[in-house]
Amino acid sequence: QRSPLRAKPVPKSSAASQRKIREPEVASSLIKKIFSHYVKMPVARDAFKIVEKCSERYFKQLSSDLEAYTNHAGRKTVEMADLEVLMRRQGLVTDKMPLYVLIERYLPLEYRKLLIPVAVSGNKVIPCK
Amino acid sequence: VAAPGSFQRLKAAVHYTVGCLCQEVAEDKDVQFSKQTIAAISEITFRQCDNFAKDLEMFARHAKRSTVTTEDVKLLARRSSSLLKYITQKSEEITSSNMEQKEKKKKKSSAAKGGRPSGEQEAAVTESEDSNMA
Repeated sequence: QRSPLRAKPVPKSSAASQRKIREPEVASSLIKKIFSHYVKMPVARDAFKIVEKCSERYFKQLSSDLEAYTNHAGRKTVEMADLEVLMRRQGLVTDKMPLYVLIERYLPLEYRKLLIPVAVSGNKVIPCK
Repeated sequence: VAAPGSFQRLKAAVHYTVGCLCQEVAEDKDVQFSKQTIAAISEITFRQCDNFAKDLEMFARHAKRSTVTTEDVKLLARRSSSLLKYITQKSEEITSSNMEQKEKKKKKSSAAKGGRPSGEQEAAVTESEDSNMA
């Protein structure tokens, strides 16, 4: 009985090492879910593949842009301000559409709580800055 | 906010310069630009300047500055790598020529080197080339 059990971990470890080579990415199921939520129409499997590729490119571009904006401000840590500049440049945040409105509209409550200070009972504001 | 009269003058100036540039291209490529095309390009240029000005202002403020510098202009041109290359090259040329001019000025006289008129400075910022002169 022991030999088959011991034999099992060998292919598993090789699979894990194969996984390590792959670049980290957003789960394809999540991309699929978000995309189909917004298009509201049937999407072919090939089209989803393209959307995945696009999101990969998007993250690459995003990181290089954020790096440029952070260096521009003389910092080494990406901050909220850098992201806001990026989103302004992308045309997502405008004078008529502030970042907080986008957060309220698109982020689930638990994430929104972390980003937007909310006054609670006892004269407290969470998250305190 | 500028007076409506100066707005018209700015538009006319842009239109004139666009006309000159189009003429150069027309001679180079051996094609003709219709008047409407030139007018459309000048209108596009004018509106694009609006975007550039807003973005440059944002970049300068992001770096906690109130003066737009060549760094901001380079950041503006990041979207197109060939444009960025060109702009970086130009800005290097300008900085080197500025250094030479400054040395000449120092040799000539330090008394003549006063403050420039503020209007000229603003023009320099929009031109994006002389922004590090002031």
